[in-house]
Amino acid sequence: MISIDYAGYIFDFLHKYIYHLFMIFKLDSFTLEGIDAVTVSVEVHLSRGLPEFTIVGLPGKAVNESRQRVRSAVINSGFDFPVKKIIVNLSPADIKKERSFYDLPIALSVLAASGQIQSEVWNKSYFVGELSLNGDINPVSGLISMAEEALNTGKTFFFVPYSIADQVSFISDIKIIACKNLLEAVEALSGRGKIEKFIYKSRNIADRHFCYGFDFKEVKGQFKAKRALEIAVGGRHNIMLVGPPGSGKTMLAKRAVTIMPDLNLEECIDVTKIYSLYKKNVSGLIRERPFRNPHHTISRMGLIGGGINPGPGEISLAHRGILFLDEFSQFPRNFIEDLRQPLENREIVITRNHSSYTFPCNFMLIVATNPCYCGYFGNDSKKCVCSLREIKRFWKKMSGPVMDRMDMRVLVDRLPETSFVDTEYGESSETIKSRINKCMNMQIQRFEGRNIVYNSEAGIDTINEWLKDNKKIRDLISTVSRKYNLTARGMTSILKVSRTIADLEASISIKEHHVIEALNYRVCFNYDNDSDAPINFI
Amino acid sequence: MKTSSNSEKILHILVDRKVKPGTFIKAYKRNNCNSDKTINYFLNYKNLKFEYDTYDPDYDFTRNNWNSSKDIIDFVLRNKIGLLSICDDDYPDILRQIHLPPPLLFFKGDRIKKMEFSIAIVGSRKCTAYGKEAAIYISKNLSEIGIIVVSGLAAGIDSYAHQASLGGKGGSIGVLGCGIDIIYPPENKLLYDKIPENGSIVTEFLPGTPPLKSNFPVRNRIISGLCQGVIVIEAGERSGAIITCEIALRQNREVMAVPGSIFSPSNKGCHRLIKEGAKLVDDIDDILDEFSIYTGKIFKSGHGNKFGNKKEKVNKKYDINLSSNELKIYEYIGYKSKSIEDIVKYSSIEVKEVLRILAYLEINGLIKEDSFNKYSRLF
Repeated sequence: MISIDYAGYIFDFLHKYIYHLFMIFKLDSFTLEGIDAVTVSVEVHLSRGLPEFTIVGLPGKAVNESRQRVRSAVINSGFDFPVKKIIVNLSPADIKKERSFYDLPIALSVLAASGQIQSEVWNKSYFVGELSLNGDINPVSGLISMAEEALNTGKTFFFVPYSIADQVSFISDIKIIACKNLLEAVEALSGRGKIEKFIYKSRNIADRHFCYGFDFKEVKGQFKAKRALEIAVGGRHNIMLVGPPGSGKTMLAKRAVTIMPDLNLEECIDVTKIYSLYKKNVSGLIRERPFRNPHHTISRMGLIGGGINPGPGEISLAHRGILFLDEFSQFPRNFIEDLRQPLENREIVITRNHSSYTFPCNFMLIVATNPCYCGYFGNDSKKCVCSLREIKRFWKKMSGPVMDRMDMRVLVDRLPETSFVDTEYGESSETIKSRINKCMNMQIQRFEGRNIVYNSEAGIDTINEWLKDNKKIRDLISTVSRKYNLTARGMTSILKVSRTIADLEASISIKEHHVIEALNYRVCFNYDNDSDAPINFI
Repeated sequence: MKTSSNSEKILHILVDRKVKPGTFIKAYKRNNCNSDKTINYFLNYKNLKFEYDTYDPDYDFTRNNWNSSKDIIDFVLRNKIGLLSICDDDYPDILRQIHLPPPLLFFKGDRIKKMEFSIAIVGSRKCTAYGKEAAIYISKNLSEIGIIVVSGLAAGIDSYAHQASLGGKGGSIGVLGCGIDIIYPPENKLLYDKIPENGSIVTEFLPGTPPLKSNFPVRNRIISGLCQGVIVIEAGERSGAIITCEIALRQNREVMAVPGSIFSPSNKGCHRLIKEGAKLVDDIDDILDEFSIYTGKIFKSGHGNKFGNKKEKVNKKYDINLSSNELKIYEYIGYKSKSIEDIVKYSSIEVKEVLRILAYLEINGLIKEDSFNKYSRLF
């Protein structure tokens, strides 16, 4: 009997001992694939042997370095760092793990594996966070994508860094636990019912005011360009501004965002999702329309997106906003060609040898350029010194498919002195925005049940519908196209723009004067008419 | 097409013996324009040394890719290019009179052999809408009454002059600054193919000569040399057109100029010519008056009613029914360009309405955008 008791005692002892020595622990976190989050389990195994701390499962540089951060954070938060052989496995093991999401989950699982904390919510939770050496939790990128994935998998809690918790506060179906440091996280986990204390209170996003800091009324003169931008934003037409240096092209383009309709919640989430991939410190949902103005020395990856760990490029950062390419002629030609597909599909698929990533890029394109190398062509205040050949070469670079997608081309001249000293303000952005909202509503009603939202996306079927019972317009278009030698694409552009002009006036059908105004924005600068130089008046 | 024996010999002298064209012409003139004597002079004496003359045109035939004159003649015959020498009867007399006429002319299209009264139209390569209208109007009407329009086959005014004159009786002659097989500027390919049907393309340069910068002043002397008068449309202060006029004056040709806006820098050259005594042209009659000696004989018949279309133009605005707003804006836009901002301020009409009206007036050809967002009247 004694022997049996003794054996039982040894068994019990060994069991506990072994249990503690060969502890395995597992919790869930995320990694990012493009814009989507994928669940990653963080497994920790403590075993006897020479003290060692290894991370396996294709860790990137930042993930590998997290060993040092975790160790310091654990010690500086007042816990013991186990003097054991520690193996951390990030599974699935064949996806590359980058960025610093795993500091918090690794630290917590090490603490759990070494028996320092116990909790009932381990398998109901997700964890992300970067640790600093003193135990603070620093922000990470891609939080919204992760929250969406967390919703899909049906877990209850999501541990996020406190400073960026605002980003995901709009989600009510999952409980966001915002912790400032490792100690708080441990407290939230281990204390019974204490986790409720850390649930982040969602804020009403409508409360937050934003302001762009500039307004359309600050633009003096430039009536034609202003009107053109209003129409362009109204129907989401791509627009090209041509003018000498100092004529206010950039100023005008910048203000185009101020007249775009406000983002709704869904769009806010879309925009924030991309921005949170791009920079870590996105404190809350982004409510401003993005305005991206990349310099022409940008790299191809920077513009389109990509890289070793494919991330969003400028075209995706301009999603739901404006991409403004200043000095368009200076952009390398192949970059310009790269824009063709994104402009058409409103998303970019980046394919690398291991997988392909899709980023949304539904942007409005505004480009600005000088009319020639010296910048003064067609300007009567200063004489252009370029030869005709140079001017043609200048424009040839921009010819072709991308020029075709420019529904509107507007010439912007320098402000005459008389307009500059004029102290009267023009219309404010608010006034213009209210007109554009109405115009948008017209379009939404018209295109209900179809795959399109804006006039600029209208296909040939839709345009035929507009023309069907409108003989006057058909006649006018054929006269005009003969006179200006317009191509089919040119005529389509004019019709789309005239539809937007009609929408701005809340007119059910396109009238003649709408088409005539639309002509203004195409014909003065008609590249299709290649008998002459691109600008008609030379 | 055949080449005359004289032209083959001259080609031989210029290409194989490396005699400068200027030297040849001087010898030709010293020999009282006796072709045989001149040709024999160069053929019989080898190793002639000639004094370098600063008045020689700055070109020679020594820099070329041809091995011998025979190759050139083969090329010429194969490509149906004509070759005309100063010793031939068909060589235009008027060209023979100038200082240093070209000893050889390569050409396409036979009009050059039957030169009659002709006028050169020269001007800016970067012309404005106004210059374009003027070039088309003048050359079209000149060609219709049978006057040959000569120009340089360059871009801008030149190409419009050629285009407009091709339809008429007179046709047009294009003088190249490069070899006849080279199309420069390339945009003029269509014109290049069309001109030989009703006119000709002429050059003194050997086939294959690239359009070197120095060729053009040399070419300009042929343009003015082929004509009784030169009309300048839109020329900057120092432009090729002005050089042509200076040469034309030296060749004792009439120089006429089309005036433009006093505010436009592209008309400064024309205005200077007018100040210096060039005849101001604002209609075809001005040109014909200048040449009443010729025109009296040749163009007397039907002169009066040929210009009916001009009166139509003047009355054009009354043919189109303009609304009061449209008329208000049209009346405000003068012949000096007005910006959209000015128009809006003056008329106090809504911007979008102003833009519509401007487009409407432009479609109907009443106004023209002549620089960024600035409009002026055409009629």
